[in-house]
Amino acid sequence: MSEVPMTRYKSLKHMPSTRLLGTGTPMCAGCGGLGALHEIYDILGEKTVFVNAAGCMTLMSVYPFTPFRGSWLYTAMASAPAGAQGIRDALDILIEKKRISKAEDLQVVVLTGDGSAYGMGLSATSGTMERDLDYLYICYDNEGYGNTGQQFSAATPHAAKTSTSMGPRGFSGFKKDLFAIWAAHKPAYVATVIGSEPVDLARKIEKAMQMKGPRMIIALSPCPTGWDYDPKETVEIGKLAVKTGVWPLKEYINGEIIHTKIPRQRQPVEEYLKLQGRFKHLFEPQRNETLISKLQNKIDTYWENIES
Amino acid sequence: MYRIRFHGRGGQGMKTASRILGTALFLEGYEIQDAPRYGAERRGAPIFAYVRADKKTINERGIITRPDLIIVADDSLIPVPAAGVLAGIVEHTVLLINSDESEQTWQHRLNIRNKIITLPVETEDRAELRFIGATCTGAASRLLGIISLASLEQAIKDELAELGPQIIDKNIHKAKQAYEKVAPNENCVSQGSEITAGKYLPPDWIDLPFEAAHISAPNVWASATSMKVNTGVWRTLRPIIDYERCNKCWWVCSTFCPDSAITVDESGQPHIDYDHCKGCMICVAQCPPHAIETISEQEAAAQDKLKEEETTS
Ligand SMILES: Cc1ncc(C[n+]2csc(CCOP(=O)(O)OP(=O)(O)O)c2C)c(N)n1
Ligand code: SF4
Ligand code: SF4
Ligand code: SF4
Repeated sequence: MSEVPMTRYKSLKHMPSTRLLGTGTPMCAGCGGLGALHEIYDILGEKTVFVNAAGCMTLMSVYPFTPFRGSWLYTAMASAPAGAQGIRDALDILIEKKRISKAEDLQVVVLTGDGSAYGMGLSATSGTMERDLDYLYICYDNEGYGNTGQQFSAATPHAAKTSTSMGPRGFSGFKKDLFAIWAAHKPAYVATVIGSEPVDLARKIEKAMQMKGPRMIIALSPCPTGWDYDPKETVEIGKLAVKTGVWPLKEYINGEIIHTKIPRQRQPVEEYLKLQGRFKHLFEPQRNETLISKLQNKIDTYWENIES
Repeated sequence: MYRIRFHGRGGQGMKTASRILGTALFLEGYEIQDAPRYGAERRGAPIFAYVRADKKTINERGIITRPDLIIVADDSLIPVPAAGVLAGIVEHTVLLINSDESEQTWQHRLNIRNKIITLPVETEDRAELRFIGATCTGAASRLLGIISLASLEQAIKDELAELGPQIIDKNIHKAKQAYEKVAPNENCVSQGSEITAGKYLPPDWIDLPFEAAHISAPNVWASATSMKVNTGVWRTLRPIIDYERCNKCWWVCSTFCPDSAITVDESGQPHIDYDHCKGCMICVAQCPPHAIETISEQEAAAQDKLKEEETTS
C-alpha cells in the first residue's frame, strides 16, 4: 500500500476559495447534499465523469443545463456502479489504443442517493468491489427517497417520520450500517463525511484521489424538505450530527477503521432530534422518553466500544 | 365546471391546499380532480396544483389552461415567467393573492380588469408559512360559494389526519378566519364554459427529418450551463453582507453556501450572486461575526427601486 502524503487541507484557510460546481441547480434551497457535493467537487476538480442513479441529483443535469464541467451519465437506480465499470473500461481502452493520452484520463465518480446505495444498487456496488474497479462512489445520504417525496429507505434512522412511516413511533426499522457492509469487501478506502465539516471532508477526498481501486464515500446530507426543518439549519444540524455522535466521522484504510473526529463530551442526541420535524412526535404532544433513551443508548453503546 | 389553479413555492403547502379544496368540493357532492403538476417539489421553486369540480363526469384531463380561479400563495411569483401565474387568464378569472398590496395596485400592475382579492401577508416567519395553504383554501371556499364551513372543516381533518390534532386545529382556525374575511366576495367565482374535443385545434406541428444519432442526440459541450437558470427568483428572503462587520474570515459563508452563490475576490471579500442565491439563509446562520443580515425580498426590491431612482435623478 502506498504511503499517503501530508494533506494540503490543514484548516479552513487552506480550503479552496473558488467554486467549480455551477449555480442554478434545481436542488432545494439549503440542500445538504448539494453542499457536500460542491465541497467534494472543489477538491476533485474538473477531470471527472459522473455516473448518477435516479434521485434528487438527477435533475441537476437535464438538457441543456448542467452544473458540471465534464460529462454525466444517468442510469437506472440499481445500475450506477455498472455504468462506472463501462466508462472505466472505455477510458482504459482509449488510453491503450492511444486515442487519448494518459493526461486526458478522467476520475470515474458514481453519485447516488441512499435509496440506491443502501438498497437497490448494493449488489452492483458489491460487484465493483469484487472486481476492484478503479472508481469513487459518493453516496449523499438524506435518509430516504427524497426525489419521490421522502419515503423510508434502508438508511432511514429508527423513529423518523417519513411519508411511509407516519405513525406515532415513526420508522420501525434501523439504519443499515453501510460503512461496515462496504468495508467488509475490503476496498481501497471507505469514509464517512458531512458538508458541515469541510476540512475533514477535504482531507478524505484528497486521500481517496491518490488511491486506486474502489473508494467509497458516504456523506450524511441534511435535507430540509425530507427532514422538515428551516433550510438555514442545514449546517447546524450537520454539526450536531457529529457532536451528538449520531454520525461518526471515520475511515477504513489498510484494513483498519480510524475515527477522524471523536466527539469528546458528546451532546445529548435530543439536541439533534429536536431541530427536525421528522422527530417532532418524540417531543409532542408528550415527550416519548422510552424512544428518546432508546436512541441515546444506541449511540452510547457505539461510542463506548470506540472509546474503550 | 370549476377550474382552479394554485400557485406557490415548494414548501408552502399548495399541493395540500389543492387536496383540501378538492375534498371539500367532493363532500359537497361534486365530482373532482385534484393533482399537483408532476415533478419534484423543490423547496422554494415555483410549483402548481389543479382542482376541477363539476356536477357531471369530468372528461377533461391535464393542466388547466383556462382557470376560473387562480390562487397565489406568494405574490413574488407573479413576475416570474416560469411560474406562469397569469397563463390562460380569461375575462371572468378571479385572482386570490396573498399580498400586502391592494387589489387596485395589482390590477394596475398587471394591466387587467379581473376581480382580484388580496389576503394580507400575516408573517414572514417561515415556520408559519405552512399555514398559507389553509388560509388560501378557506378563502377560496367562500369565493366559490358552494362549500359550507362544515365541509371545509371536515376536508381539513381528512386530509391532515396524520399531522395530529394541534396542527389540524391551527389549520381549521386559519381557514375559518380567511373564510370570514372574504365574506363580502362570496360566490364571485363563476364556472367556465365547456371545452369540447370538437373545438380542439391541433398545434402547428413541425416536421423534423430523421437525423443520425450524432446529430439528433442532445449534447452539451459547454460547462456549468446551469448558470443560465436564474434560481434567484426562488428567494423570499435576501441575505445582505455588512462589509463593515465582515472580517473576511476563511469564507465560512462561501464554503457553506450549497449553491456556490458566494464568491470570494482576491482581497478575500465575499460577494453574493443574487441571480442564483436561493435564500436558504445558511450563510446568515453560519457567519462567525454575524455580518450577514436578512431582509424580506419585498423590502429589498423597494430599496433597490429607491436606489435606482436616486441614481437616475
Ligand atoms: C428501479 C427504479 N425504481 C423506482 C424509481 C423511481 N425513483 C426515482 S428517484 C427515486 C428515489 C431515489 O432515492 P435516493 O436514491 O435515496 O435518492 P434521493 O431521491 O434521496 O436523492 C425513485 C424511487 C426509479 N427511477 N427506478
Ligand atoms: S429533497 Fe432533500 S436531498 Fe433532495 S434536493 Fe431537496 S433538500 Fe436536497
Ligand atoms: S442565502 Fe446565503 S447560503 Fe443560501 S443560497 Fe443565498 S448566498 Fe447561499
Ligand atoms: S462568513 Fe461572514 S465574516 Fe466570513 S467572509 Fe462571510 S460574511 Fe465575511
